[in-house]
Amino acid sequence: MKGYIGKRLLRSVLSLIVIMTVVFVMVFSLVPRDNIFKNDDTFRKLSAKPDDKRDYVLRTWQNLGYLDYENLNTYCADLYGAGSEATQACVLSTSDEAKAFVEEYEKQGYTIDYLTVSGQPYAYKDLPVISRLFSWFANMIRIDHPWAIQDETNPDLPRGISLGTTPTGGPAIKCSGCVYKYQLYTDSRFPFIHQNFITLNFGTSYPTYRGIAILDVIFDTQGKDVKREVTFETGQTGETGIIFGTCQYKSTLDRLDRNKFVDNYASCMTQKATPSMVGISFIMGILAMILSYGIGLPVGLAMARNKDGIIDKLGMVYIIFIIAVPSLAYIYIFRYMGSSLFGLPIVFPTLGPENWRSWVLPVISLALPSISSLMLWMRRYAVDQMNSDYVKFAKSKGLNQGEIFRNHILKNAIIPIAHGIPASLAGCITGAIITEAIYSVGGMGKMLPDAIKQYNNSMVLALTFMFAGISVVSVLLGDIILIWIDPRISLTEKEGRS
Amino acid sequence: MNENELFEFADFDETKSEHIAAPRYSYWGSVWKTFFRDRFTVFVSILLLFLICFAMIQPMISGYDPLVAPNVNNPSMRLQAPSAQYIFGTDNVGNSVFDAVWAGTRNSIIVSFVCTFINMVIGIAVGAVWGFSKRLDRIMIEVYNVLSNIPYLLLAMILQYILGAGFKPLIITMCCTDWIFVAYFIRTQVMIIRDREYNLASKCLGTSTGTMITKNILPYLISVIMTYISRTIPSYISAEVFLSYMGLGLGAKNASLGKLISQYTSYMNSYPHMFWIPVFILALISISLYIVGQKLSDAADPRTHM
Repeated sequence: MKGYIGKRLLRSVLSLIVIMTVVFVMVFSLVPRDNIFKNDDTFRKLSAKPDDKRDYVLRTWQNLGYLDYENLNTYCADLYGAGSEATQACVLSTSDEAKAFVEEYEKQGYTIDYLTVSGQPYAYKDLPVISRLFSWFANMIRIDHPWAIQDETNPDLPRGISLGTTPTGGPAIKCSGCVYKYQLYTDSRFPFIHQNFITLNFGTSYPTYRGIAILDVIFDTQGKDVKREVTFETGQTGETGIIFGTCQYKSTLDRLDRNKFVDNYASCMTQKATPSMVGISFIMGILAMILSYGIGLPVGLAMARNKDGIIDKLGMVYIIFIIAVPSLAYIYIFRYMGSSLFGLPIVFPTLGPENWRSWVLPVISLALPSISSLMLWMRRYAVDQMNSDYVKFAKSKGLNQGEIFRNHILKNAIIPIAHGIPASLAGCITGAIITEAIYSVGGMGKMLPDAIKQYNNSMVLALTFMFAGISVVSVLLGDIILIWIDPRISLTEKEGRS
Repeated sequence: MNENELFEFADFDETKSEHIAAPRYSYWGSVWKTFFRDRFTVFVSILLLFLICFAMIQPMISGYDPLVAPNVNNPSMRLQAPSAQYIFGTDNVGNSVFDAVWAGTRNSIIVSFVCTFINMVIGIAVGAVWGFSKRLDRIMIEVYNVLSNIPYLLLAMILQYILGAGFKPLIITMCCTDWIFVAYFIRTQVMIIRDREYNLASKCLGTSTGTMITKNILPYLISVIMTYISRTIPSYISAEVFLSYMGLGLGAKNASLGKLISQYTSYMNSYPHMFWIPVFILALISISLYIVGQKLSDAADPRTHM
């Protein structure tokens, strides 16, 4: 069995790579690039200036990761410094540097083209999917070390690892020269011990959440800063929401930074009031899952027990209602009922995540469909078991209805349902699109559709990778649960059988 | 009392042996007999048949086209309440909601039936073999992992760029990867009963794999498959709502129930009938489909035939 799981995990890694290859091809080769500018106001304003428009188009494509783009202006500015007289002579299309520019990039395999008005040359090169994929995976895991920062403006940066404490008092392993100042630290946030030694890196988000690291967009807390009284390393005290453990190297410091920090590690995240996108979706999903399994399974079983009785009929009405009415409609009906009868807020941000009342309606709305499908399947499987010979035998041996259901039918009927539990757990992380949109919950549901619509390619890739990883693991866990609760099933080939 | 008073001699009667003999049994005959035994089921089946026929015929007579709006410049024609001429009233461009709803119903029914049929046929065929063969399982699990994790919306978008909007592209989008979910569901079901004692016995007796799948396993799964189908057909109508909402549905040329519902959501407070009529029609069709499916699945279980 262990061998089987190991091999299957290995194959899962392979299929993850295949998924990413397919998605890379889809994103970078199949989606037409020109569509990006369909609704772009900046692009429309530039229609009178063809040169600037071309530059803007290529620059945007470079930011989205489609190609590498080089132009004469930056080439000259690198040579002579921005704004100098030599630079102004250099950017002319007839200059010697322009010829050198063309030669240099032609040699590197770039396509050379000329702007229509000024005649300046520019160069661009499409990246092949395979090399793009390779560098994406290569850059994904980042290991921090004392020589990670190479800053020309700060050549005397000391390098080394030492023991110490964070300004809030927790013991920590500190590092100078690393990207992160605190490699291992403790504080009051869950899970209390944190590390920055190995970090995942999926690139930065563009054009939505511009310039923020993908993982920070998803995992960082949202909303207003939660401030508390802190004594900084400089000896000053003040109110701040800074999480000191997350401080990263920053090459230029301003006056405010100098008041708070003794070194260059001043780029920190802050503790904010609202949980992160993943956090909100996960809390909501888990609550809804507990609710739906807590209600769906017992009611489904009760329906099977009273087949064609009143409970069965009522349950059927509910199931049919949920199946027949589109989710958009029944969530609206339910929201209207909840707000008019119980005075619950109709959108999440009214009372915010601190108040339990704002969670009630979204959680129940999320649970409504899964309750119905759990009821349906529990009933179906239990009814199928009720007709089987072992139940008839148990009945003829004198067991009562309750004993038969508890000890015999439930155990057999629950097998296919247990198989789906890891998948519904995984569903909590990916979020719910419609429910979150109706209640304006800042969760994960909208992220992937929005990223696809906005051509936020690095976000699409990162989310696909994460969701795929989670779902691959949940499929494996489902199969493990299956063979754990039903020993008759085996996933591996037994000896002597073909 | 002596023995003679307790017992009496019976005559041998050939006709009586005819009565107690096992009746001739035909599987599908019994399925239909059980199905039509219930009057309510018969009523729902007739209703469903009527709804489908009406949805197919009415748009041919009305010739409704969402792009043609002859009354668009006549404000008095807009958003009328239901009347004898316009049974469901008129919409925001002065077209009859009645015509729009039935044209939408027709398209939604076609899309969901075709998609369900394609996905079920491929899914069940693949799933049955997949669940049965452990060697194939190793490969298919990875195929499932890949296909099920490609973002659906991205796929839909790309297919629409390549194929344009309309019936065929929408059906291809909905069938492109969805069959793998049906196959995965069937695979788990097959796996659960594959190693049961009766199948082991059957295997010991030398039954071929094909016979085991078609004679031992699939008949056992008919009730589960029917339940699955009766949920899937309405779910494709909802999927069409979602894709229309994202701008990837049937396109502007074709009406659909999903598009009408998402369009009329904004009138939910001002003209509630416009929102509720398509919801009601959709609910009516889904409910009848569901009930017929459930009753069929109950009737398909041979243990209910006696």
